[in-house]
Amino acid sequence: MAQDDKAARGPSVAEGAALVDLLLQMADDDLVLGHRHSEWLGVAPDIEEDVAFSSIAQDEVGHAALYYELASQLGAGDADRLAFDRPVGERRSAAFVELENGDWARTAMRHFLYDAFEEVRLDACTRSGWQPLQRAATKVRREEFYHRLHSRTQLHHLAKAGGEAFARLEHALADLWPYVASLFDLGPHAAELRATGVLPADAAALRSAWEAVVVPELSELGFGVPACGGTDATSAAHRGAHHPALAELLTTMRAVLDVDAAAASW
Amino acid sequence: MSAEVFEPYQVFVRRDALDAMEHVGTVMAASPEMAVLVARQNFLRRDAAVGLWVVADADMHSANTDPQFFAEELDKSYRRVDGYSDNARRWKRFKQQALQLQDIVRDLESKEG
Amino acid sequence: MRTKEPDIATTEDVREPVASEQQRVFLERIDRGEKIEATDWMPDEYRLLLIKFIQMHGVSEIMGAFPEKEWVPKAPTLRRKLGMMSKVQDEMGHGQLLLSVVQELGRPLGLTREQLISDIFTGRTKFHNVFHMPAPSWADAGVIGWLVDGAAIVSQAALLDTSYAPYARVLKRICAEESFHMQHGESIVLSLAEGTASQRQMLQDAVNRWWESLIFFFGPPDVSDAARKMIRYRIRTKTNEELRQKFLSRYVPRIHALGLTIPDPDLHFDPLSGLWHYTAPDWAAYGRMVRDNTGPMSQARIALRQQAHEGQRWVREAMRAGAAQLAMEGARA
Repeated sequence: MAQDDKAARGPSVAEGAALVDLLLQMADDDLVLGHRHSEWLGVAPDIEEDVAFSSIAQDEVGHAALYYELASQLGAGDADRLAFDRPVGERRSAAFVELENGDWARTAMRHFLYDAFEEVRLDACTRSGWQPLQRAATKVRREEFYHRLHSRTQLHHLAKAGGEAFARLEHALADLWPYVASLFDLGPHAAELRATGVLPADAAALRSAWEAVVVPELSELGFGVPACGGTDATSAAHRGAHHPALAELLTTMRAVLDVDAAAASW
Repeated sequence: MSAEVFEPYQVFVRRDALDAMEHVGTVMAASPEMAVLVARQNFLRRDAAVGLWVVADADMHSANTDPQFFAEELDKSYRRVDGYSDNARRWKRFKQQALQLQDIVRDLESKEG
Repeated sequence: MRTKEPDIATTEDVREPVASEQQRVFLERIDRGEKIEATDWMPDEYRLLLIKFIQMHGVSEIMGAFPEKEWVPKAPTLRRKLGMMSKVQDEMGHGQLLLSVVQELGRPLGLTREQLISDIFTGRTKFHNVFHMPAPSWADAGVIGWLVDGAAIVSQAALLDTSYAPYARVLKRICAEESFHMQHGESIVLSLAEGTASQRQMLQDAVNRWWESLIFFFGPPDVSDAARKMIRYRIRTKTNEELRQKFLSRYVPRIHALGLTIPDPDLHFDPLSGLWHYTAPDWAAYGRMVRDNTGPMSQARIALRQQAHEGQRWVREAMRAGAAQLAMEGARA
């Protein structure tokens, strides 16, 4: 009942700032990873997979657009401006999604780890007391079903091949692992988000839910999983400690916009 | 010359619960599981569907390609509705109309039924 | 393994008097407007013509992903980014559909998907001239969608009544998706045409860049031997020039309506002949560019495709090996 009242009332000013920050984390993560995935267009390992992976990339960008729209409704500004105009320092994406694609093994491994993460973050959002987020998360969660199935099936195939593929995946896992912690940084408003029921989970709970999903699966496939802990004290553990590749990505994204600053529409 | 790495799978889609499976094309894939996953996006990224099958090409069997396989040369109207069109004329004598399937469907759909 | 070279130039004419009974019956089927299926008997020549033609069509779709792919990461709004991704995906999807048709036709010759792709970088198959050209601005992304896809729709729609049924079925779906591309391209072009002076200039520059390639796209006006055979078999029913004329009739008025100029002072419609007159491109030079892959972007794009295919062969092989391993474990469990 209390939650319904709040949804009807809309978030308070303070809650609004916390909400916008959460929405931008989710949007920036999905936009940056969708952008990275789309770099495989036309050059995936086979034609059918090229088409399939493009759908996943489009979904990620589409989900980002949905979260930017929600932030926009809270007064954060136009969705496209949120996606294109914010400088590196204002970005809320995790270094995990910013890292370059590398080879297909790293892409497959990141796809697997990230979509498992999205699942636990979205599960928490489907219990959100803020209805617009709860509804958005429920929709997105349905589209993520395919992503999870695709990422797991592909990883199982590649890992079971052994040899070069397995070695490349192992290498990818080692490259990616230090950045995992950045996904679980819920930002400066984490306590408030939890207290107000906007995001009824904390970082430690999300991380242990994620580990419960991915660690047994990775172990079963024969991967030695690096030491797990609630919080890694690596330099990449915080949103805001961006990977150097993000700056280049943002410059690329602005390439057309910067051609004609006076243009009102494209 | 390059040998094949993946295998072809024939793809079938059911667009609606009341539709039969429809053949829509072929995908190359490493396994039936991957074939299902790529077929979903190669053939259904715009259209809605409720079912998807893939069948390894090697498991497909088709009818004899000679058009005679489908020959229907003599009158087979005794097995079709239009073979009994004279019923309507004959019922007139008994002051009744020939009954059609749609009459019965309509009966069942009407609230008074 | 391929057992035959699809060398159309040396195959005998289809109307030779000593045609076999099977050939005669086949041509009668063609003349009655019947559709041919992959499992039907067909003359080798018909099969080889189809393989060469549809492989080039499919490969052009796959190579056609590259000029637009460059603009996906730079697309200036979320909606444009999604539209570009979707469009490039469709190009790859069309390649998938078309190569599947070729594979089925090529099965008696041992043609594989692996072979059809590697034919791109061994130079055994060609791709359309437009995909050898650079796309240096965002307006190129718009003009490709609007005019290059417009030209492609004209030529693909003309193939919808092709005698080869599997090709016709695939073309039906391709044309439906191309009509989205046309709208997508027009939307970009209209935004630029409605925009600032520099946006309009960008658009004009792109039209200038693409015009000659668009004229060449339909091929030289003279009907080659291969084209004559294709028409005899009703693989295609219209000539290059007929298609080019249809394209000009549809698009020239629209280009002018946007206030754009066309870089051909001789371009005009002659009401007497009912034909467009245009400055002929250097047919031979364009032909050489396509045959020898010597366009401005040919080698860079072929290298990308080669890297994607050969450089990632390990992925396909691992997926296959993993599938076998999973099946074995599944059977044990």
